[in-house]
Amino acid sequence: MRLPDPLRTSIFRLTIFFALGSAATSLVLFAFIYWQTAVYERDRTASLLAQEVAAVSSETDIDLRRAVASRLESDIHHVAYAALFDAKGQLIAGNLASIPPGLEPDGVVRSVEVDRDSKNGDRTITQQRILAVAKRLPDASVLLIGRNIDELRNLRSVVTRSLLLGVIPALTLALFAGAFLSRRFQLKIIAANQTLRRIMRGNLHERLPVADKADDFDQMAVSVNQMLDEIERMVDQIRGAADSIAHDVRVPLVQMHTRLERTRTQYQKSGDINAIVDHALSDLDVALGMITGLTRIAEIQDDRRRKAFTTVDLAEVMRSVFDLYEPMAEEKSLTFTISSGQPQPVRGDADLLRDLVSNLIDNAIKFTPTGGTVAVSVAENTAARNVVARVSDTGPGIAEQERGAVFERFYRSTTTQDIPGHGLGLSLVRVVCDLHGFDIRISGAAPGATFELICPSLS
Amino acid sequence: MSESDVDSLSDIDTDAKSEAERHPSILLVDDDLNLALDVANSLTKRGYLVSHAATAPDGLTQARRGAFDILILDRMLAGEDGLTVLKILRQEAMGKPVIILSALSGVEDRVRGLNAGGDDYLVKPFATDELVARVEALLRRTDSHRATLLQLGPLKLDLIDRRVWRGDREIELLPREFKLLEYFMHRPGQIVTRKMLLEDVWQYRFVPETRLVDVHVSKLRRKIEAADEPPMLLSIRSAGFMLNAPT
Repeated sequence: MRLPDPLRTSIFRLTIFFALGSAATSLVLFAFIYWQTAVYERDRTASLLAQEVAAVSSETDIDLRRAVASRLESDIHHVAYAALFDAKGQLIAGNLASIPPGLEPDGVVRSVEVDRDSKNGDRTITQQRILAVAKRLPDASVLLIGRNIDELRNLRSVVTRSLLLGVIPALTLALFAGAFLSRRFQLKIIAANQTLRRIMRGNLHERLPVADKADDFDQMAVSVNQMLDEIERMVDQIRGAADSIAHDVRVPLVQMHTRLERTRTQYQKSGDINAIVDHALSDLDVALGMITGLTRIAEIQDDRRRKAFTTVDLAEVMRSVFDLYEPMAEEKSLTFTISSGQPQPVRGDADLLRDLVSNLIDNAIKFTPTGGTVAVSVAENTAARNVVARVSDTGPGIAEQERGAVFERFYRSTTTQDIPGHGLGLSLVRVVCDLHGFDIRISGAAPGATFELICPSLS
Repeated sequence: MSESDVDSLSDIDTDAKSEAERHPSILLVDDDLNLALDVANSLTKRGYLVSHAATAPDGLTQARRGAFDILILDRMLAGEDGLTVLKILRQEAMGKPVIILSALSGVEDRVRGLNAGGDDYLVKPFATDELVARVEALLRRTDSHRATLLQLGPLKLDLIDRRVWRGDREIELLPREFKLLEYFMHRPGQIVTRKMLLEDVWQYRFVPETRLVDVHVSKLRRKIEAADEPPMLLSIRSAGFMLNAPT
């Protein structure tokens, strides 16, 4: 059996689904944390700036300049902005060349773009987003205080990095866990499936494996096993009933047989009675044949027989049955041929296989009219790794729609009603085939029928 | 009815047998009284002395007395296993032939029965004639299996060169016909049933058509009985066949 890809099981898909789901949740969570932190930072900076501008604007002109200068000096991280502009917007003191566009001198904190002009001699001008507040002083000059908010951008990259560092290993882990769980589960399923198939083939006493962990799978296995117990019990009951009926019916039939025999011996001279007794005896033989056939089929169906399987040369079986039936074919003036050749080893029960082949050949001889042909052959089909045994005749053949029904118990085709038999031969063939896992096919040989027995080859 | 047919077992002259031997005695252990009566009647008619035990302990006691030539033992004796009785007897070095009767027809059952020390195994229900034939076969089991040349009247079988003569006439036989004749030659004057032939010559336990055996036997008969020669291979109606020296 081909092992299905463990990545295609439902449990693996489920794991992936959960992994992706939890990744998405973390993403949302991180985004929220980032957003909340950013908002908080921004609000805090903004309120600090507003307080500062309010405090500084109350100073005198000289104090203002000093305040701007000291603010810039103490700013070792280069995040602070401070500037004092005159009424025309010309810089009086500070580190911004002009009032950035969009910033009204109304004391409201805004986010604006500025050209940062580096203080450590580096003339590179960089665009920066800052939070700033401007306030018009009573002398119409404008005081501006601002703060770089690049830190928030740093925060974002920290958050993204930790997200990646956290989520990717988690996802990978989930993937492996999923594959592992799925493999474990799958092994259980495979074991259960194989058992179920064996049960379907007739090993009714087999049971699903149950681990002692009592997980949901085990609970299901326990239920299935209980169901199988019940089915087996019922089947045994039915089989037992059928067997005992068959046996009980056989006893009086055999006694009747013996009595009739005795009657015939005692009244040997009366021809009329003899004829009647002979007729009754042949009827009894048919009834006994049916019952023997039925009990035998029941016996074969017991799959414990499989334990006794050995390697059997099917070609040898065919030859021995051919040998047994040759005089019978000769008596009916049939052309009876065999093509067997090399040994064809198959796994099975030699006695049952002989019965199977006997039934096929017996039927072929029975249904082929005098002068016809019965051909028996066995050969290996190397391509399909099969051994194919064929029994073809030139009898009336089997109509397409009857080809399934002929294997049923007591089925007798309307076209063959006048040929003696009890309609169990092919049922036995089917039961033996099922027990061996062999395939049997019927085709037309125009005229006639061909039975093909297909067995897995051992060579 | 052809000339070589004999109508029933009771028609067959048993003198030849009873002259040479004392009346053989049979111990029948079976709890089915109807069947026991039937079997006892048939066997008595054929000149046997029959004693009967209905239970396992009774059977064991009678068997230990040793006054019998063949033991016919039912496998299921009112809750007790006949095979246990047989095993005990075999352990006590009881060497006489035993036929097991059983309702169990499975291959395994049969093998178990023969392993326990049975010489033959007959599945119930059976025709009494079949049992009688098996009793005779066991009683008259001889050492002929070691011989290399078998002879019965004018019929001679060379087992080494696989050649057959009737008087001076050499008969060409197919291997399967030779095997069949050899089986009969080992059992001269004994009833050989179809079942025995299927089981012993062809190793079949179940054949859809027992007429098969008749076809084989009649082919053999045509070869060993030429038109002017007296019959040797007789058909015994309802029982089977018998090979006899021509009278």
